[in-house]
Amino acid sequence: MATAQDVKAIVEQIPSPDKNGTYVNLDEAKIGQIEKTVAQLQQGGRDAVAALIGMLVEPGAGDDIKPRWALHLLAVRAAAPGNDAARKEYALAVAAHLGGDRPKEVQKYLIEKLQIAGGPEVLEALGRALLDDELCDTAARALAAIGGEADRQLLAAWPRVKGRSRLSVIKKLAVLRCAAAAEIFRSALNDADADVRIAGAWGIARIGDAAGTEALLKCADAHEGWERINETDACMMLAEALAAAGNRQAAAKIYEHISRTRNEQWETPIRQAAERGLAAVRQQ
Amino acid sequence: MDGRGFGMTRRALLGGAAAGAVLWTIVPRRCVAGAGRASPSETLAAGLIGCGGQGGEDLNSYIRAYGGEYRLVAACDVDKTRLAAVRKNPKKFGEDVEKCELYTDWRRLIERKDIDVVSIATPPSWHALMCIGAAQAGKDILCEKPMTRFIAEGRAVVQAVKRYGRVFQIGTAGRFGAYASEHSRRTHKIMASGLLKKCEAVYIKRGGFPVRNYCGRVNLEPQKVPEHLDWDMYCGPSPLRPYNSHRFGWSHRYYWDYEGGSLADFAQHYMDPFQWTYAKDYTSPVEIEAYAPPAHHDACGLWAWVELRYADGLTLVLDGNEWGPRYDRKKERGVTLDDLDEESRRKLAAMPDPPKLLNFVEAVKTRGESAGHVEAAHRAVTIAHLANIAIRTGRKIRYDPDKEQIIGDEAANRLVYQPMREPWHL
Repeated sequence: MATAQDVKAIVEQIPSPDKNGTYVNLDEAKIGQIEKTVAQLQQGGRDAVAALIGMLVEPGAGDDIKPRWALHLLAVRAAAPGNDAARKEYALAVAAHLGGDRPKEVQKYLIEKLQIAGGPEVLEALGRALLDDELCDTAARALAAIGGEADRQLLAAWPRVKGRSRLSVIKKLAVLRCAAAAEIFRSALNDADADVRIAGAWGIARIGDAAGTEALLKCADAHEGWERINETDACMMLAEALAAAGNRQAAAKIYEHISRTRNEQWETPIRQAAERGLAAVRQQ
Repeated sequence: MDGRGFGMTRRALLGGAAAGAVLWTIVPRRCVAGAGRASPSETLAAGLIGCGGQGGEDLNSYIRAYGGEYRLVAACDVDKTRLAAVRKNPKKFGEDVEKCELYTDWRRLIERKDIDVVSIATPPSWHALMCIGAAQAGKDILCEKPMTRFIAEGRAVVQAVKRYGRVFQIGTAGRFGAYASEHSRRTHKIMASGLLKKCEAVYIKRGGFPVRNYCGRVNLEPQKVPEHLDWDMYCGPSPLRPYNSHRFGWSHRYYWDYEGGSLADFAQHYMDPFQWTYAKDYTSPVEIEAYAPPAHHDACGLWAWVELRYADGLTLVLDGNEWGPRYDRKKERGVTLDDLDEESRRKLAAMPDPPKLLNFVEAVKTRGESAGHVEAAHRAVTIAHLANIAIRTGRKIRYDPDKEQIIGDEAANRLVYQPMREPWHL
């Protein structure tokens, strides 16, 4: 078992950056030293990861260049194909240090390492991080990257998050094409926050939610400017998704609506796009 | 950007017809535009997003240099100092630039109903979202290179541009130079013909990447955000880091969050003519291997070379030629008629020559496809992204150019698509 002092001594073997703070000074010998150091840290397992995390400080509070980089290099190596046990061990070791009074900027960094090397074993830890306003967006991005059953964490968090965190969660439900979030997306179309309405529209399009068609068209029609542009695009995406799924009638209905209602001169390309879409589904 | 800092002007990177464009900028336009010069009714209403060094250069390089005309009606930047400078630059933007509306939120520019073309010259971490927004709003697009920050952004831009039938031109014109070369046209014709069953060509781009100058700093301390800068909006879809001036302006290129070092900044220039010559606008390499030190999580770093192999056997090598061993695995080799059997040569001779490439002005007028079209631009920058993924993972990677996914390496795939910070999405 490696002690924190052992790990500190090992990580110090990583070469220092040059006087400008860059690593343009690396040569074959220094690269060899990095490789050797990382290999030693890998052998240290969870204890080495814990010790490295213990050396991290929030930006501006001290020099943690070497342990920060070392923790990253361990993530990249742990995530290499072919050794899922090593990856899982690393991810669990990192996830164990989320929460508590550790600086939030450090916790964000740990979550970013989970975005590289995390898998199903860290979903719950990331789900808990969603409930922390300062960590929510970083955790949501990590969950979206990991995928699989990550959407369950986002679904569970939705009723409990507030403010901008709602946006982080609903966007990533859309990224993951979470069909179980259909009702969340539809309800979002009536939200007071325009960004949430846009997210709801995008979610409906991403999951190809035919039942959301009427509400989406109504929402897009009701708005102007950036919101109208985005929600109209969601209508077009939904039509494409429905057509691809064989629901030509529903797709045609959307295209007809867009081509009939986008009558301003600046909307000509949008109307023409709808007309092309309509012609395509009629030819199918 | 203008290439300052490494002894090379941006225009020096552009070949062929683009070199002609340089002449257009030093010869009064009335002397050369002649009958092709735009009438007032053909003047494009332009919006500019990103008013730094390269801001507006594409409007001049791809519209005025080709006999078109534009009027800048709106400009946007998250830096109010840069933004204010636009109105004071009639030499660059035209005498009525003082009437141009100024914005700090690009969405307000996109939603204007009177803009025909949007020119995007922000850090690349913003390019995809702005291109998509412009396409959704029915505007044609001039996008500074590199087109994107990661691969999935490019596919989303392609889809949006095609959905709305927009003209897209990337901010590099190297393929005009390739088209002007008889040798490159012959190579293109052979490669595009489908007659070459196995390609043994090796194309080596040696040097031209400022590898050392583009290394980021790993010791950035938080600094106070200048009052004239909207730092949150600058970071946009990328993680919100504590402000440091080195992340802003020219040096944003040295950080993964905003660009991707010398490979990302320069490969699009070099790969644009390569891709046209070797008829690779609709595909990507299948195997990628890099020689580089372990990569840093935040700052871009050193690399020696990257070898990329296509499914047909063609090998592409990017040799930084500034650090580490020179690439010596394979010798450079082109494609010639001798690579075809006699029957194939006869078939090739009967095939039409490559069609003329359209410049942006011609494409807008005819609603055709501009030479630096969206799929070509996406595939060109994909080369840089794949090279950087191989560097960042330290592993040889295999890529499926149809699914646009890395095969059998989940961590590498997480660099193909990187979820965005709220409220942004692809």
